[in-house]
Amino acid sequence: MSDPELPFYVPQISSGGVPTVSPPVQETGGMGGEAPPAGSAGRNQLPGELLMWVLILSELAVFGAGLLAFLAVRLTDPTGFAEAQSHLHRTGAAANTLVLVTSGWLAALATRAAEAGESRRLRLLLAAAIGFGAVFLILKGTEYADLFAQGIGTESHAFYTFSFLLTGFHAAHVLAGMILLALVGWLATPKAVETGAAFWHMVDLVWVLLFPVVYLL
Amino acid sequence: MTRATKAWAMLLALSAASTVFAASGLTGPALALPILMLAGLKAHVILRDYLGLSVAPGWLRGFDLGLALLIITFAGLALAD
Repeated sequence: MSDPELPFYVPQISSGGVPTVSPPVQETGGMGGEAPPAGSAGRNQLPGELLMWVLILSELAVFGAGLLAFLAVRLTDPTGFAEAQSHLHRTGAAANTLVLVTSGWLAALATRAAEAGESRRLRLLLAAAIGFGAVFLILKGTEYADLFAQGIGTESHAFYTFSFLLTGFHAAHVLAGMILLALVGWLATPKAVETGAAFWHMVDLVWVLLFPVVYLL
Repeated sequence: MTRATKAWAMLLALSAASTVFAASGLTGPALALPILMLAGLKAHVILRDYLGLSVAPGWLRGFDLGLALLIITFAGLALAD
């Protein structure tokens, strides 16, 4: 009888009525991997660590609520918000989108390298991903320095209270992600790299929602 | 070309499209709606290909639904003033 807990060995009944065992099916459905064949076992199961998905959902909820509050407060002073927004570095923030999605791509490739047992390659890819994270923080730091030089701080206007809070909290996640990627690069196990990369993709995901709301609308 | 590389190329293209709209001088719904739609598409690609939800289509649909509701609310608030 087939054991549902062992989905990669599928006993079958041959035409002569003798049970046979099919060869193991290679699993390639992890984060950053290729989709498994239709109907394969594990379909609709979340890839990777469940706790990481809880964290991803929590972060989306926190940033989503923050962005909704930002847009709600904007209704009280749309002109003031538009004027305040004009002081931000839109070009730098747009560049930072490219920086983060490229960094996420490198982290996804590192996950594949970890699954293939290519430790040296995965470490190089993660080092490059961390490097792009540093570029993101440098661009963000340049924007903050420019705003501070203009005498703009968190108390200057409600727009800045929200924008510093949201982008600063996100930047703290970028820094934490860089440390996490360095740690999983040192461990170099497929599970660790997959988990670290998932955190990094979450940082990426939050930015693509935050950027248009704070910088463009 | 791997799924991750295709996703990266797609994200670059979507980001370029956002830049075109942002630099176009459009305002109001003509700017907000495409910008937010492109953000939603980028989020979908990250969830599907970077975070691997392509192997869990039910979960992907659930995340897409949540994101769609969030982005529609963003649009409603952004266009209410």
